[in-house]
Amino acid sequence: MVDAVVVGAGPAGSAAALALARAGRSVILLERGPFPGSKNLYGGVVYARVLDGVIPRWWEEVPVQRWVVRRSTMVLTETQSLSVDMRTSSWGDAPYNGMTVYRADFDQWLAGHAVAAGANLVTSTVATGLIWDGSGRVVGVKTDRPDGNIRAQVVIACDGVNSFLAKEAGLLPQADAAHHTLGVKEVLSLPAETIDERFGLGPDEGLDIEMVGVTRGIPGGGFLYTNRDTVSLGVVVSLKGLADAKVRPEELIADLKAHPTIAPWLRGATLKEYGAHLIPEGGYDTMPPLTADGLMVAGDAAGMTLAAGIWLEGVNFAIGAGLAAGKAATDAIAAGDTTTAGLAGYRRALESNFVLKDHQRLRRAPGLVLSQRMQGPYPKLMCDVAERMFTVTNPEPKPGLVLLLRRAAKEQGVRWRDLVRDGIETIRVFR
Amino acid sequence: MSASAEVVVACLAPADQRPEVDPLSGEVVVNDAMASLSAADAAALEYALRAGEAWGARVMAVAAGGASVVPALREAASLGAEVLRVPLPSAHDSLHGPRRCEGTELAGDPGVVTAVLSSAIRASGTPALVVCGDRSSLSGAGAVPAMLAHHLGAAQALGLVAMEFESGGVVLGQRRLDGGWRERIRLTAPAVCSVEAAGVRLRRASLNAALAAASVQVPIASSSATAAAAAAGAAGAARVHAGAPRFYRPRTKVIPPPAGGTHERILSLTGALVQREPPRVVGPVAPAEAARELLEFLRRAGVEVGQAGDAGG
Ligand SMILES: Cc1cc2nc3c(=O)[nH]c(=O)nc-3n(C[C@H](O)[C@H](O)[C@H](O)COP(=O)(O)OP(=O)(O)OC[C@H]3O[C@@H](n4cnc5c(N)ncnc54)[C@H](O)[C@@H]3O)c2cc1C
Repeated sequence: MVDAVVVGAGPAGSAAALALARAGRSVILLERGPFPGSKNLYGGVVYARVLDGVIPRWWEEVPVQRWVVRRSTMVLTETQSLSVDMRTSSWGDAPYNGMTVYRADFDQWLAGHAVAAGANLVTSTVATGLIWDGSGRVVGVKTDRPDGNIRAQVVIACDGVNSFLAKEAGLLPQADAAHHTLGVKEVLSLPAETIDERFGLGPDEGLDIEMVGVTRGIPGGGFLYTNRDTVSLGVVVSLKGLADAKVRPEELIADLKAHPTIAPWLRGATLKEYGAHLIPEGGYDTMPPLTADGLMVAGDAAGMTLAAGIWLEGVNFAIGAGLAAGKAATDAIAAGDTTTAGLAGYRRALESNFVLKDHQRLRRAPGLVLSQRMQGPYPKLMCDVAERMFTVTNPEPKPGLVLLLRRAAKEQGVRWRDLVRDGIETIRVFR
Repeated sequence: MSASAEVVVACLAPADQRPEVDPLSGEVVVNDAMASLSAADAAALEYALRAGEAWGARVMAVAAGGASVVPALREAASLGAEVLRVPLPSAHDSLHGPRRCEGTELAGDPGVVTAVLSSAIRASGTPALVVCGDRSSLSGAGAVPAMLAHHLGAAQALGLVAMEFESGGVVLGQRRLDGGWRERIRLTAPAVCSVEAAGVRLRRASLNAALAAASVQVPIASSSATAAAAAAGAAGAARVHAGAPRFYRPRTKVIPPPAGGTHERILSLTGALVQREPPRVVGPVAPAEAARELLEFLRRAGVEVGQAGDAGG
């Protein structure tokens, strides 16, 4: 019998195991892949401020690709693009704001810290189910290894989106297409110097672009991140929207690569990798209960990716949740109460840090960002207004912004009333 | 002979199984931190364990290299094998991140690898059987198993797809032949065999063994002995002179310059406007009639064929 078993050595699981091991608890960290990170797919950016208090000067050892010094939010139509582009040199200095990493490197690095702290990592091992006692309390997990049952005081399910453990415990519904999006990504090779030149970056500097309007009206968005000598390019789209539109995700990426703004950046790039993965995008309102007797759920297993238009952050939320779960489990074990009540400190901790605070504050963002108007006419409307503002029409006098907005709204069939209401709603959601 | 009290050795070559290859330059980037067993090496380990069980022999997993081979050896330990790491003179002693590699550096010099492996194996006992994967996954030529057999004075069977073990140190192996045939090979220990990853069911370590393996101390073969062996191996390898690769350039063949104008040359190359027998539609006709037509045609074309009546049978 160990103190805790953590299932999944993604960012959430490694962080939970790290917290438990540092507190001197015996912990087994199970990973189904041959090494942590081998089975994971994500866009490319990690905001690791959450590690400051955990691994001092983490930036000196983390396997980074590039430090993000430029962030853009881009609205695109078939022929236009409009960007809000933020660049600051301060993000290029320690303690850094964000970085691009490869998951195979990053997850191994974080799991390595858990192991160094005393966690027992077992790879190539799948947790196949929960072990219950007679009173309906989780007391361990079954694995696919011979003699592979592990009994533990607490099980922490960090097995990612689609968590079978959370489903078995009845915390997540068996199927839930409505609150998931599909992320598809290509990794494209380009020489590092070409990336520097085309994106206006220094040797270690990176760019992160989030995009709206690139998905043929299917609710979702796109992204482009620069790694050292590759570029990650992808889209994140509603499952139902994709099925209804009868479009294959590769076609959306092909559109993106052919876009007049994107194509010149990628000229001569060769395809290195293609992958797809689900993302829990329901946000705060669709999160499951985070604990049951003897069980905790963290990271994507609990739907903790923040996908709110200008943000697509999951790794930092997973780490934050994993650390909180590990600490709460430690306290509960010490107090000898690992029931739902004994584990309640977990939710309290998340509510007092960014994980649930951000999710709660932005709870209406997924609905707003994926709404029909945000995805349909608005990108065109915004691009048209910007295009007309910057088109010099003299000898005609310059038109005012409100007039341009009214004209574009009319052309896109958007009622002025809806536009104002959505504007107010946007301010409320992101306030 | 009895193989008991002897040792069965699995020679493993853990390596990055997914090296990156630049499609244009051919440059290879390997990550030592990702080193793991290839499918063929995993099969070799499985057969070594089976041989150990059949003969009641110790099983030892040996890998030549730096710290990057340790996780794979620990995996072997979790399955019940004794383990030994054999340092290579050029091996990286710590785990490296991605690094660019020259083609020749990838699989190491087979002469040196064989010399250090055989010296370490001999120091650990008389091997009844050595099983290797058929080649290292990093552009290996598959020479090590054959050279090992030579060094150890053992029989060899390379590229096997299945192995069975009978008492008295007998190995029954199968090798793939063309056309779906199989060659069956019977060897008596001492022997060196290499195996392909072909349909062998691998065992899995129990959870406790997998957990315990994490803290297994992997012994390292004595470095002075391996250094001497490596030097001898390198000297042996030096007898074979391998020069830098050169492009194959065929001899120049002298042909007469073209005669006539462009038009004539095109006509002569394409055979257009040349007197020829126009195609003729024959049939549909009975098979015998068709055969006769065919033979007549061949005869007209100057092919020596018998009379139409000979075509029976
Ligand atoms: C296309 C895409 C782009 C994204 N872009 C970003 C981005 O740029 N930045 C960002 O911060 N986030 C991004 N995300 C979200 C991010 O990937 C996730 O939020 C994050 O990985 C969640 O971490 P986790 O530890 O909860 O789960 P995961 O990273 O999914 O880890 C779960 C682990 O559990 C293991 N596992 C699963 N089941 C079992 C089992 N039964 N037994 C044993 N092990 C098991 C898996 O192998 C895996 O290692 C993106 C996601 C996608 C799909």
